[in-house]
Amino acid sequence: MSWTADEAKKLAQRILSYSKADECEVTLQLNDSSHTRFAANEVMTSGSTRDLEIRISSRGKGKSGTVLVNDTEAAALEAAVRRSEALMAVAPESPEWVEGLGPQKYPPIEAFHEETANAGAEARRGGVGAALEAARGGKLNGSGFFETEATWQALANKKGLFGFHRATEASYSTTMRTEDGTGSGWAGTIAPRITDIRAKDLAATAAKKALSSVQPRDLAPGKYTVILEPQAVADFLGNLGFAFSARAADEGRSYFSKPGGGNRTGEKLFADSVTLRSDPFDARVPGRPWAGVGPGFGGGGGGGMFFGLAALNQGLPAQRVTWIEKGVLKNLATDRYWAQKTKSEPMPFPGSVIMDGGTGTVDDLVSSCARGLLVTRFWYIRATNPQTFQTTGLTRDGVWLVEEGKIVGPVNNFRFNESPANLFKNVEALSAPVPAGRMVLPAIRAREFTFSSKSDAV
Amino acid sequence: MRPTRREFLRTCGAGAAAWAGVSVLPGEFLVTRATAADLPPDRMRELAAFALERARKAGATYADIRINRYRSQMVSMRSQPDFATGKLNHVPTVTDTETFGFGIRAIASGAWGFSASHRLTKDDIARAAKEATEIARANAPLRRGPVRLAPVAAYKDAYRTPIARDPFEVPVDEKLEFLRSLNDQVKKVEGVFSANGTISHRVEHRFFASTEGSVIEQRVYQISPELTATAVDKGRKTKTRTYRPHAVTAGWEAVERARFPEHARRIGEEAVQHLKAPSVEPGRKDLVLMPTHLGLTIHESIGHSTELDRALGYEANFAGTSFLTPDKMGKFRVGSEIMNVNGDRVRAESLSTCGYDDDGVKTRQFPIIQSGIFVGYQTIRDQAHLIGQTESTGCCYADSYGSVPFQRMPNVWLAPSKDAVTRDDLIAGVDDGVLIDGRGSYSIDQQRYNFQFGGDAFWEIKGGKVGAMIADVAYQSRTPDFWQACDGLGGDAAWENVGLNSDGKGQPQQINAMSHGCPPARFRQITVLRTE
Repeated sequence: MSWTADEAKKLAQRILSYSKADECEVTLQLNDSSHTRFAANEVMTSGSTRDLEIRISSRGKGKSGTVLVNDTEAAALEAAVRRSEALMAVAPESPEWVEGLGPQKYPPIEAFHEETANAGAEARRGGVGAALEAARGGKLNGSGFFETEATWQALANKKGLFGFHRATEASYSTTMRTEDGTGSGWAGTIAPRITDIRAKDLAATAAKKALSSVQPRDLAPGKYTVILEPQAVADFLGNLGFAFSARAADEGRSYFSKPGGGNRTGEKLFADSVTLRSDPFDARVPGRPWAGVGPGFGGGGGGGMFFGLAALNQGLPAQRVTWIEKGVLKNLATDRYWAQKTKSEPMPFPGSVIMDGGTGTVDDLVSSCARGLLVTRFWYIRATNPQTFQTTGLTRDGVWLVEEGKIVGPVNNFRFNESPANLFKNVEALSAPVPAGRMVLPAIRAREFTFSSKSDAV
Repeated sequence: MRPTRREFLRTCGAGAAAWAGVSVLPGEFLVTRATAADLPPDRMRELAAFALERARKAGATYADIRINRYRSQMVSMRSQPDFATGKLNHVPTVTDTETFGFGIRAIASGAWGFSASHRLTKDDIARAAKEATEIARANAPLRRGPVRLAPVAAYKDAYRTPIARDPFEVPVDEKLEFLRSLNDQVKKVEGVFSANGTISHRVEHRFFASTEGSVIEQRVYQISPELTATAVDKGRKTKTRTYRPHAVTAGWEAVERARFPEHARRIGEEAVQHLKAPSVEPGRKDLVLMPTHLGLTIHESIGHSTELDRALGYEANFAGTSFLTPDKMGKFRVGSEIMNVNGDRVRAESLSTCGYDDDGVKTRQFPIIQSGIFVGYQTIRDQAHLIGQTESTGCCYADSYGSVPFQRMPNVWLAPSKDAVTRDDLIAGVDDGVLIDGRGSYSIDQQRYNFQFGGDAFWEIKGGKVGAMIADVAYQSRTPDFWQACDGLGGDAAWENVGLNSDGKGQPQQINAMSHGCPPARFRQITVLRTE
């Protein structure tokens, strides 16, 4: 199964030819995904799903009506266009309506890899088998998930706008637990190419973490220096997306709101070493050529992590953006409606989040640490106060005490009550950035991270 | 990647909008319509028979097909002042989506395989039946033993949620006007910045047929309305208050009976009070938790810890495992003597209620905790034998034709006291405590021990009486400690059927809705934090 730009364009143009509204916009997505799941040292569910979404929006004079169908028959498509026009007719005018875009120039982004698109259960068996072998051989309880996906997406409107994009993604993760239930380790990666999934190495990492986290010693909660591995940083930052909304900041709903009005763009808020940007052209986390919503929203490159922001600017070309530079807040994502309201420029949030780092590894952060806790990853993070960024969550799959530059031994899991803003203020050192959770992130060593209670979970 | 639904879940988690399953822009009107009309039952049975025959021919020892249509609608109205002019803007959003397709599950060479498509043609069915068995065979070499299914009877039956008025038949403009009038009521309260009303409802039309002879057709309707007031002060601090009648399996009548106009002004006033309320003084306090709040606490601490797939390690790589391991069944004390919890998919109006699960098992009620002791798990057909049981409790569900069915939480509910205890009776026994209503931020560890839960509104309790509103409250505890500290439950008249519509689990992640009915309850000496 596949689509070419010409095939997608032909289908989009046929749909647009039925339109009688002032504006009509079509987005198309064809998706082919398959997975293998394993747990308790056994292969479990495994399957393959094909789906198509055709989204048709009729628009004009403050109103819009949108229909989604999954049938490519001409009569069905024409009926769908008529339904979207009928819905538009009964819609009240939206005060936040903006006019559709004219033709745009979309930069090409190479994100499709045949070897990923063609991978089936047989292609995943080796990766699954590697983890099962490591688990069964090491007297561990292994579980995990291996998934491959291919998507073909197009965007078109009556004003001559057209874009086509295709992308693949392979994701692999595995958890190893010791038989006595006191040790647990996790490792995983997401990449556009299946050949970049090193299942055997990941399984070995998870197994090593499980075995070295057994029988953790009790450590009291409190403020500790932490070394967050890149996945832990990804888990923590994954909840940040909404904060980068200019509207939320201007309306007084976010950490970036300025007391008295406006937002804190231009202010030095974090440590000098903190630079956070989006680069949809980075091959490790490729984005989509246009910002958008609807079928295919989320694309590769972490757009999905920032749902509220990626959805704002349907059809604007993807661009590189620096959000925080050397600790200074440089930009906030702005949708076209909000840009009009505040007389500013629209700024899409393309995902593909990259945090700049240093040159060393996690081990280097450990060896230069006097006393701290090394954290594999976090779990169940929830905001408790969006205006202070305050969040709570738990450590998972391995926490170790570090003293005088050496790992002393495993300790219990903790609940934390902390803000990413404090983390960014308290950064001491960064490793070289690596792909983690659809972003590219360094490990971070930071002072005074607040753990509020002990968790008995392993 | 892959459809919007999953990205949406990943980032938004809970909320009425999750039912819509699509990304939403303010001011947008969105409709999804699968163009295939409802297929006549004969045609459905014919296609199913063809699928099962093809799977058998390809070597499947078991197969089932689900041919499902899902329609969901979310209508919302946000009313807030224009940023530049201060004029009140009413921003409507409507999503109406419909998806249709089929999924075939097969066991071949002792392993599971699955294949699904949105195109219900004979060619696609034949391809999927073959692919499902091929996937099973490809995975078989990795299995140490064959999948075993608990026996089930062959059913030829139909089920339909009893509804008085189909919510899809209520015109969109009528819904928007209703919400706008509620928002106007909320906005009349001085100090309210914005009001946001949402009505979500959905129907699942499920057709199931298996090689064991079952042919089952079901239509399940779910509905969830809510109204939120937001207050903002000059220091740009914001607080909200939500009225959320219980999400239920029912029709439009659930909205009509919820007396929204009476609650609109109240939530406006309470949002303003919330903004002015002082922060809680942290420390150990007694808690009285209202059903609107306690439902989610039950979900997180008891619902998830008694899922057999978690206990067996099937979710170890994602949702987590459970502190309630199989060796604890029948022995371990989770809570105090007064705690009795049941699972079911049969109770009237509960969100998980239906006739049959996605294994084709007839739904029923079963005990989970009796007099504080853990006695039973939620199970499906391929797990029952792993804990020495001979039948499934009927907890199999997939959230789409394109998703693989697996063990999902049924309704898990806390029984009321046999005595006619009221909320005020519980409060009368508290010297220094907090009354909590509604849901806030929820977080719990992967084995379901350590949790921290917030709420929607809080009042101090002093000397056995409810006092002033307070703010920034969360409490932390450990599941068995917490439930063993429960020393009071409301009676039957105070019991409410609380619905939860967006639980996430599995890889790929799927959503699920269920109810957690409960009375108000009292808990002694729990650690309370200030979240400001």
